[in-house]
Amino acid sequence: MRYFLQRMLQFAVVFFLVTFGVMIFMRIGMNKPGDPARTMLGGFVTDQKAAAVNKQYHLNDNVFVQYFYWLAKMFRGDFGISVQQNITVANYMKGRVLVTFFLGFYSLLWALIIAVPVAVYQAYRRDSNFDRAGNLFSFLFVSLPALVLAPVIIQLFVIRWAWFPRISEKVMPWQSLSGHFKNFFLPVVVLTLPLAAIFARLLRADIVQTLQSDFITLASAKGVPPSRVLWTHALRNSLFSLLSSVGVQLGALVGGALVVEQYFSMKGMGALLLTSILSKDLFVVQSVTAIVVAVVSVANLLIDLTYAFIDPRIRHARALT
Amino acid sequence: MTTALASSTHGAAEVKSARKARHMGWMFGTAWLVVLSFCALFANQLPFIRTYDAKVRVAGQAKQYGFGPGWTAWLGTDNSSHDVFARCIYGARQTLFIGIGATIIGLTVGGLLGVLGGYYRGWVDRAISIIVDCLLAMPALLLALLLIQRTDQIKETITALGWLTRTEEITITLGILAIAPFARIVRAQTLGLRERDFVLAARSLGAKSQRVIWREIMPNLVPAMVTVAVTGLGILIAAEGTLAFLGLGVARPQTWGTMIDAARDDLSKAWWATIFPCLFLFLTVLSFNFIGDHLARKFDIREAAV
Repeated sequence: MRYFLQRMLQFAVVFFLVTFGVMIFMRIGMNKPGDPARTMLGGFVTDQKAAAVNKQYHLNDNVFVQYFYWLAKMFRGDFGISVQQNITVANYMKGRVLVTFFLGFYSLLWALIIAVPVAVYQAYRRDSNFDRAGNLFSFLFVSLPALVLAPVIIQLFVIRWAWFPRISEKVMPWQSLSGHFKNFFLPVVVLTLPLAAIFARLLRADIVQTLQSDFITLASAKGVPPSRVLWTHALRNSLFSLLSSVGVQLGALVGGALVVEQYFSMKGMGALLLTSILSKDLFVVQSVTAIVVAVVSVANLLIDLTYAFIDPRIRHARALT
Repeated sequence: MTTALASSTHGAAEVKSARKARHMGWMFGTAWLVVLSFCALFANQLPFIRTYDAKVRVAGQAKQYGFGPGWTAWLGTDNSSHDVFARCIYGARQTLFIGIGATIIGLTVGGLLGVLGGYYRGWVDRAISIIVDCLLAMPALLLALLLIQRTDQIKETITALGWLTRTEEITITLGILAIAPFARIVRAQTLGLRERDFVLAARSLGAKSQRVIWREIMPNLVPAMVTVAVTGLGILIAAEGTLAFLGLGVARPQTWGTMIDAARDDLSKAWWATIFPCLFLFLTVLSFNFIGDHLARKFDIREAAV
């Protein structure tokens, strides 16, 4: 119980500090002190418009006051307006969230589907040819960031063989299932391969270690079939690093999505973040960052808590430190 | 699936050959990095590398993507008819400089925070943990984008910071990104070390905390730090490429990321201008991974998540 409370508290503290930090940071160095609206809107605005925006979002108040107004609005679901696009942030994000969601969801799913069996078999046949090939490939793919992998894949599958469209349109599964997969396939591949390599490496190392413990020897000695020992006894006890790495990689996926969306001209959250950061779209940056941080942290929190719930060893070990 | 599960069934010969394979990876990594750094350092002197601004002309005319990979220009020419190979080498200079600089910053600050947190425990540790958690809660690339974009603008308003070049900005930003993971790993190592007998011995002889940290704990952290730094270098170089690709790179001399960004729209016309910088980046990151893995095994460091 103590562990759960600790983790919740830690999450709250980090969330508020980060969002507050981003807010302060976005305020530093705006052209004229106390006039962020003017900076956001660009040089050509009437005084009334700037004053109105300043007033509506309390931009002339003390940062703490601003922060509380902003926070209260966030919780009511009002994320502010995009001054550049002249629409609300909620509307701005609406069509884009799903694109990035599908990208991240498919990549995580496929990375796990590929990594788990490969890692289990690698650990089972340690030092076999399969294991060594697996190790080599995981080294290769870990060293292939989206930045490098995407042009190679585009060159091969789009330009050379023309199997897939150059631009990945936003086609949702309920519109056209085949179109959906056709458009998402390459971006997902680019994100999946490095992810699968990271997962496979972690899981393999853990299973190799677990396989050396006494309870495995006991289970095999008892006559439990090897496949069962492997898939239930060994795998279940080796999942911890994999799961916490899934949490960590969520953050990295946001970065990956940013790159992939650029390469495949997709209109997702990554593209939105990039444009808004570069064009100093204050509220968009602030709100979207808060949402991203919240999603990633909550996912991490859930993973940790579920795991601690399942495995009391973690709970006790962590509560002590 | 009838064989026993423990690795005892495998002969010693197989394990040996696995070690040999790993050794090859290490050799390859070192060789690539040595050759690359040598070319990068002496690019101005080496006869087979064109200068940064030299244009490869087709019949006296500068032509966009005039040459594909071949004898005249080994890796082809780019959209302003510069030699891609020469640009890659000059890019290596810049990229390695940024990567190493960022690692040094991250290692100094992160290492210090980690040692202090791990050694003193209590509220020092808690305060440092909160900083580290905050840094880790932001997706790294997002944090980097924000930092660089903001520094750009702060530079406009606060002229005192005008001396900061783009290269230094990126180096510092990436250094800040590296702080949190380094601090975490060093802290974990320190927690283990401070319970060891030689620390106890030093303390019972009356050594002050400062001396224990510098003379007893620090030297024992070096292997872990070196290993993490090498693996981290690979990641930082990839991160630098990504930033450059997103438009926040160094304009001159171009880094690999800037080159990829500049040429990627013409992928169908001239694949070489994009793919070869990618290859350089890939081989360099791969080399750092190989060397990092080798060191981790040598010093028996369980790889922590960077």
